Amino acid sequence: MHLNRLKGHINGWFIASTLIISLIILPNLNIIFRVFDGASENWAHIQKYLLPGYALNTSVIVLFTGLFTLLIGLVSAWLVTAYEFPFRRFFTWGLILPLTIPAYIGAYTYQGLLNYTGVVQSFFRNNLGFGTGTNYFDLMNLKGSIFVFTIFLYPYVFIITKSFLKKISASIIESGKLLGKSNLEIFFQIILPITRTALVGSVSLVILEVINDYGVVKYYGISTFSTAIFKTWFGMGDTASAIRLSALLMVFVFLILSMEKLLRGRKKYSYSSTKIRPMKRQQLTGIKKYLATIFSSLIFSLGFVIPVAQLLHWGYLTYSKVVDIDFILMTLSSISVSIIASILVIVTALIVGNYVRLSNTTISKLYSKVVTIGYSIPGAVIAIGVITLLIFVDRQLRGFYNNINFISGNLFLSTSLFMLIFAYVIRFLAIGYQSIDSGYDRIGNKFTEASRLLGENSLSTFFKVDLPMIKPAIYSGIVLVFIDLVKELPLTLILRPFNFNTLATKSFEYANDEMIHEASIAALIIITISILAILSMNQLFKKEAT
Amino acid sequence: MFIKIKNLNFKYPGNDSWVINDFDYSFRKGDIIGILGASGSGKSTLLRLMAGLEVPHTGEMLLNEQVIFNKKRIIKPEKRNIGMVFQDYALFPHMTVSKNIGYGITSRKDKNKRVEEVLKLVEMEDYAKRYPHELSGGQQQRIALARALAPEPSLLLMDEPFSSLDHDLQIKIREELRSIIKKAGITSVFVTHNRENCESISDEIIELENGKIKYSQSKTTSLN
Repeated sequence: MHLNRLKGHINGWFIASTLIISLIILPNLNIIFRVFDGASENWAHIQKYLLPGYALNTSVIVLFTGLFTLLIGLVSAWLVTAYEFPFRRFFTWGLILPLTIPAYIGAYTYQGLLNYTGVVQSFFRNNLGFGTGTNYFDLMNLKGSIFVFTIFLYPYVFIITKSFLKKISASIIESGKLLGKSNLEIFFQIILPITRTALVGSVSLVILEVINDYGVVKYYGISTFSTAIFKTWFGMGDTASAIRLSALLMVFVFLILSMEKLLRGRKKYSYSSTKIRPMKRQQLTGIKKYLATIFSSLIFSLGFVIPVAQLLHWGYLTYSKVVDIDFILMTLSSISVSIIASILVIVTALIVGNYVRLSNTTISKLYSKVVTIGYSIPGAVIAIGVITLLIFVDRQLRGFYNNINFISGNLFLSTSLFMLIFAYVIRFLAIGYQSIDSGYDRIGNKFTEASRLLGENSLSTFFKVDLPMIKPAIYSGIVLVFIDLVKELPLTLILRPFNFNTLATKSFEYANDEMIHEASIAALIIITISILAILSMNQLFKKEAT
Repeated sequence: MFIKIKNLNFKYPGNDSWVINDFDYSFRKGDIIGILGASGSGKSTLLRLMAGLEVPHTGEMLLNEQVIFNKKRIIKPEKRNIGMVFQDYALFPHMTVSKNIGYGITSRKDKNKRVEEVLKLVEMEDYAKRYPHELSGGQQQRIALARALAPEPSLLLMDEPFSSLDHDLQIKIREELRSIIKKAGITSVFVTHNRENCESISDEIIELENGKIKYSQSKTTSLN
């Protein structure tokens, strides 16, 4: 490239973005490089006796959760989009609500409900004459974890598929009918193939969430990669093995993402005409309309009503014991850290996003890919990458700390909130970036170019023109990241400073200490925050649409 | 010559073919120059290169004897003192008409006076407080022109200025446009794919094909 052209591409946005990208890549590269450091004495044992179990358990959970969320998400999305039945409008948004309950909270709520002393079995014994001494429901196994993941994660498939189905033109279905096909044939031969991309994409999101999970599998005592990384790191103090397991999990994720690409296929279905007549919902009659309502009610009850009712009951029993000044302070600090990290994520996304859209180069395209990798990498892996990197940096800076009489000889970065927030930004940048990127995409480059030609440089253009115009994207980005941060568990458990708790860790700690009732207040706060955030986003979208 | 372009070459990243191919031409001061061409001929790209929104691979551009691009020097778009009217006007939707027009005026003292002046020039004095979405297509175009003229640029570029207007409005607006530009006394270059529009307001016409000049014609001196 001509030197002059190169100079035209190097500016403040490029330098800031390069710095950010380096910080994102470093912890991951750290894991890759340290894999070759040599194995610890435990590794041979882990490899021979434990690893096959971790891989098998993780694969089974991923496979069946993927399959069941696909079925429930697709059927419920198709029902509310294509048919008219009692309470359809309510279920259109009601079936999203299970997403507000983190799977680990669902896990211990269902365990509390269904265990020997829980309300269900007690009712059976006391009122229906069931015998004592038998445990009729046992959730603490692979099947139980698949049930919990399915019922709290299917909304990913529901939301994405529903919005895709809404865009399907009525004429496609009408053509099918005129060519003599039944409703069922149209569904399997037309709708299912064109919805493939949305289905594969949304199921991949579910799978990434499952791999990232630590709370459900830990509580149910299932050995997976996540629990193994925690065990080797905290239980055995074996950094080398934790790094190796993390690297293996990264390979596993990479395989899944490759499979996703393969399954999506080369075809992207789009319409040649921009005017799409949305399909008209068909009125279900007779028993079919009741079956549709019963199916939707069942999913809604399992995913939202039952766990929330149980949590409210437990909350009522324990609030006076749990809620004290310490709990209120913990809640405030948990929310503050989430707000700070969400804002940092969005600022980072704004910088990289602005560079990527203004500079159409190979480097900018690469950067846009790198910022989204964090969401594919499980929290435990990012945590190991970040903590080992910052301990290394702290050791390098020890002399400097001593010189300025700071905290002589101690670790600073690797014991502070900085480490946790840094890891949050890496993990959740993808979500913020997607929001900001779609905001930039909507306004295009013409307003920026107009401003430049009117004499403003790119920084003042950014503040005067770009920022005010993408306000809705900034807001929705902050809200989306905030919801995820409030319920985040694996990263926080590994990286939080001593004595620091979030609502998520507090709730999980209670549950792990067999104080499930006490866990309910923090859980209910998380759920309320998520519902409020979703409602406010909904309002924003409605306002934008008008 | 007011604008001199020498051996200009440009292609988009990832594209093998040159969009602008050894382009060589000079424009006189005060003229309205129309660039004609089918889509993909490179006419809009040429405008973007002159504005500084794209960086050429090789070549040289001079504006009023000042180098704005060569292999040693590259002047940023905000420093070129070039005004541009975009195809879809690009009026800032969060600013009123007067804020839009005042955006490029650096002198705080004269800002209001200058805004009033250009609003009068485009006969839109009563619309100062309106937002862009409260204006019709033709009104938006006049405001876009007023905004581009407000900082008194040495060159005005217009990208398909009539494409968003219906046929009757195009005929009315192009007459007005020529009169406003001539009144402002500013050298202007505009691109269009419509020969009728081009011939009716230009002093000089260039037709582009595959990034090269197919023919050129001046109303005063006819050339090939």
